[in-house]
Amino acid sequence: MIKRKKNIFIRFFRNPKVQPFLSVILPVALGVLVFALWQTQILHKILGTDTFTLPLPSQINRIIGDNLPKIMLNVKATVLVAVIGLAIGSFIGYLIAVLATVFPRWGAGGLSIVAAFNAIPIVALAPVMTNWTKDVSSDASVRSMVAKVLVVMIVSIATMSVNAYRGLNNLPEFSLDLMKSYAAKKRVVFFKLRLPNSVPYIFTALRVGVPSSVISAIVSEYFAEYITGVGRQIRENIVIAQYATAWTYIAVACLIGISMYCILMMFEGILLRNRK
Amino acid sequence: MSEMIKEREVEREVEIKIDDVCMSFKDNNSNDVQALNRINLAIKKGEFIALLGPSGCGKTTLLRTIADLLEPTSGKVRISGMTPKEIRLQQKFGIVFQNPVLFEWRTVKKNVELPLEIMYWSKVERKKQADRMLELVGLTKFADHYPKQLSGGMQQRVGIARAFGIKPNILLMDEPFSALDEFTKEKLHDDLLKIWRETNKTVIFVTHNIQEAVYLSDKVCVLSPHPGRLSAVVEIDLPRPRTIGMKDSIQFTELVAKVRNSFEGGSL
Repeated sequence: MIKRKKNIFIRFFRNPKVQPFLSVILPVALGVLVFALWQTQILHKILGTDTFTLPLPSQINRIIGDNLPKIMLNVKATVLVAVIGLAIGSFIGYLIAVLATVFPRWGAGGLSIVAAFNAIPIVALAPVMTNWTKDVSSDASVRSMVAKVLVVMIVSIATMSVNAYRGLNNLPEFSLDLMKSYAAKKRVVFFKLRLPNSVPYIFTALRVGVPSSVISAIVSEYFAEYITGVGRQIRENIVIAQYATAWTYIAVACLIGISMYCILMMFEGILLRNRK
Repeated sequence: MSEMIKEREVEREVEIKIDDVCMSFKDNNSNDVQALNRINLAIKKGEFIALLGPSGCGKTTLLRTIADLLEPTSGKVRISGMTPKEIRLQQKFGIVFQNPVLFEWRTVKKNVELPLEIMYWSKVERKKQADRMLELVGLTKFADHYPKQLSGGMQQRVGIARAFGIKPNILLMDEPFSALDEFTKEKLHDDLLKIWRETNKTVIFVTHNIQEAVYLSDKVCVLSPHPGRLSAVVEIDLPRPRTIGMKDSIQFTELVAKVRNSFEGGSL
């Protein structure tokens, strides 16, 4: 009995019913702690900075409130680039994975080349794309949009194609034998086995792809011709030493990433609820 | 009793003929390894045959050769005068593997319907057949569940329902119960024998469990390893229907001993 009482703390943390709860509570608690240190300016003392360079959360909150319409306009531009780029890129990436599966001889090699695109830094890609697309349209906003979407697209293609290829080919043990014993044609194997098997892998790719599409969109805005988007606002405000406004846009960028990730998790929870 | 069985067997025609089948693989050091060495076997229609042996004796290889999942290096397999490939393309094989191979994105019922979809059965017929098969394995209540919600034994039962559902001529089972606990296994043995009695298919059952082989089958084909060869065929003249109680009978014990002693290279 005594021994049990001693371990009650450990047992509480190891309780499988408590654990999922803790995995939410602990990160949130850390976040709250950081915010508390930040707002009370203890964080500033630790980092040796001041409220001009690192404005208080309350200040950021006020700026968001005061400039909501303008901020939303920029958010819209960034989200549009991220979502369109991610959608087109993921679609092309999936098609490449399908091609690599249908033509296995070329597939593996071709896929490594596509995967190498993942290693190209966005910072290098963005100015190149802006330069390449300068004759696409006479409208600067359209030109910039195309350039930004292209950057996000290229980053998304690599992530999706590698993961989707895994999903189309890492099949359950004996499942191909089973299909063969039914004399199933390749097309049937694809639609009844490979395609549904790849769905969880699509979500794995998107878990990486959603945050990286937001980052790519923001970075590519730095180099774009047309001055719009959250990333561009961060840059412009730093240039004119408006750190409070710059930090506001950084906070907004975080919120975009987090909300898009949450929406993805919701879809994943619904679509994969019956799987292991 | 045994005369009666013999009489019945004379009437049965030979369905599967295995002639001098050899199979060799290259191992990691590119040496030839003989997995099967001159296997000759005739299996009659409606028979329940066990392929019994320790791991590495080539029993699964032999089963896969019959199923046209592997091609023998030499020799031939004929099923009702046709090649295994022709039989496979006619979709006359039902296969149950070591694990249930259920598609996790399909409900239990949809899993049973999968081969029927591939064979272009109508929607109504598919539904009817799936319902019938699930009733046969006692899973009607779980038709709309997903595989992850089922126990291992129940999942394997779905696999059996799916295999019998396509009305195969031949049912091939590759250690289907090896991952299950003893209690579940015994229950599934009796379920399998019941379905077999009702459908009267030819069953080839691969196992490494002597009791299981003796309890289920009409004939136990004993395979010995290195190289994989058929060392004996033991007739099991236990009366049917078989019941759990028979496992305690002297006849059963003697048959188990007979099978065990027929392994080449001593008893296991």
